[in-house]
Amino acid sequence: MKPSVGKLFPKRQLYAMLAPNLLLFIGLTVYPIIWSLRYMLYDYDGIHPAGFIGLDNFIRLFTRDPIYWDSLINTLKYACGKLSLIIPLSFLIAMVLNIRFKGSAVLQAIIFSPTIMSSAVMALMFYLLFNVYNGDINRYLLAAGIIQEPINWLGSSLAMVSVVIVAVWGGIGNYMVYFLAGLQTIPKDIYESAEIDGVTYWQRLFKITIPMLGPVLRVILMLAILAAFQDIQSIMVMTEGGPLGKTQVVFLYLYQLFFPVSTSSPIKPEIGYGAAASVVTGLILGGITVIYLWISKKLDNIY
Amino acid sequence: MKKLAGKLVIVIFLAVMVAFTLYPVVYTLLGSVKSNLELQTGGSFFPGEWKFGNYAEAFEKAQFMKYTWNSVILSALTMIFSLITSSMAGYVVARHDFTGKKLLLAAYLSVMFIALGPITLYPQYMLMEALGLTGNLLGLALVLTGGQASNIFLVMGFIKSVPKELDESAVMEGASYFRIYATVILPLIRPILGVIALFSFRLAWNDYITSLVFSIPNQDMKPLTVAVVGLRYSANAAAELHIMTAGASIAIIPILIVYMFANRQFIGGLTAGAVKG
Repeated sequence: MKPSVGKLFPKRQLYAMLAPNLLLFIGLTVYPIIWSLRYMLYDYDGIHPAGFIGLDNFIRLFTRDPIYWDSLINTLKYACGKLSLIIPLSFLIAMVLNIRFKGSAVLQAIIFSPTIMSSAVMALMFYLLFNVYNGDINRYLLAAGIIQEPINWLGSSLAMVSVVIVAVWGGIGNYMVYFLAGLQTIPKDIYESAEIDGVTYWQRLFKITIPMLGPVLRVILMLAILAAFQDIQSIMVMTEGGPLGKTQVVFLYLYQLFFPVSTSSPIKPEIGYGAAASVVTGLILGGITVIYLWISKKLDNIY
Repeated sequence: MKKLAGKLVIVIFLAVMVAFTLYPVVYTLLGSVKSNLELQTGGSFFPGEWKFGNYAEAFEKAQFMKYTWNSVILSALTMIFSLITSSMAGYVVARHDFTGKKLLLAAYLSVMFIALGPITLYPQYMLMEALGLTGNLLGLALVLTGGQASNIFLVMGFIKSVPKELDESAVMEGASYFRIYATVILPLIRPILGVIALFSFRLAWNDYITSLVFSIPNQDMKPLTVAVVGLRYSANAAAELHIMTAGASIAIIPILIVYMFANRQFIGGLTAGAVKG
């Protein structure tokens, strides 16, 4: 093997070129993690000097903070709701658009378009659409006779449904593209020989397409789970976690511990406690990810 | 007959999906030229009277000109930083072996698969404050650049498809390592740089939470998204829905125009970054 080109040059030059990216990575990703690991042991509000309190933050989290655990459950509800709609829908769209026809490229571009807009700004617009008395959604439902009186979309237990609808709107284009890329990796001649053998459409779907998509599907689901955990911009704008914490997801709660700027959260920042809760959340969500990878690996082996 | 029914189902399904996708966008764009009263009472779909003056009002009264400019600067800076840092680092990693390379790549990869969410914001803010970079767009652009580990993998993947002989012949000519990068590699990897440019511009243009936090000490550096969403919380928000919709339109129209010209790159970049990467 020939030595790589880089070997011919002084290391200093290479490190200098790597440095900008590396420094940003260390400062903005590695350092914050280490920072959280330190401050999780402190009582710190960002104003007064931090005081070491050992594991007190963790005791509080595990014994006296039902809001945290509710927000974690809400996150799982939100993720399940979002994934159970967005994955089948985007798969169906991809299946249809994978057949090239006049206008399929335009449809693809349209359905992808929500993903390029600010989720916060669009959530603001959905906030208007979901309005009880003069929002368009209630207006159409009333006019069509589907409902008899206006629904309080963001102010009742339906709030979770509303934020999930917005999440589906904003994310469907992403997964459509992933599925389209996956579908393109399946060799065409498999379908051709299946067709000659007289295999029906549904048999082809369940015996060829879905199994062949297996590895891609595994990655797509992984990305979808991670994205669902981290979506807070639109929820923050539409409901701020309300009503009564019904849409309070875990990262929004953590955010409010660090930056209690919104109207519904406590006045004093609780940074030490937030760091502890962040570390626990990171471990829990990391655990879910690992379990998912383990289970999906087993599923992969079945095929 | 059966085939026709199947086709009909597909057409209806697609029509519903397109309507679902487009409605909020069209609602926003049409709402931006409705009168405030019409927005509040939820009148008809099309504006009764086309009030383009809403934009003038947003630009002047609500200072949206300033916020738009902030967003342009922020997105441009983030784009430039992302292009420079990820292309240089991607080149070094793709073409050179050094101690700790595997560890470095593992670290980059693992943060892509850990849900860090907003929990890094506070320490990031403190770090920038220590460097004297809070309260201006430069620090915010650096923070938005630092969060994109996937770019380095995009560059790496692309450089691997560039023949090494090109580098080697440049070595024969006596070019330095940086010079090879600047004159041989950069022009060749233009397509992937285009993708990174689009994605980092979009990221900065659309960011809300990081920008919100970083503009706490200096409200004058607020980008557009923060200013638009801020209208929801302002005292006279209900009285100024027309400015809110006009502001939202100012936030989405430029990126929609960029998208119309570059949608292939958007879609191509997404698949290159996620499924294959």
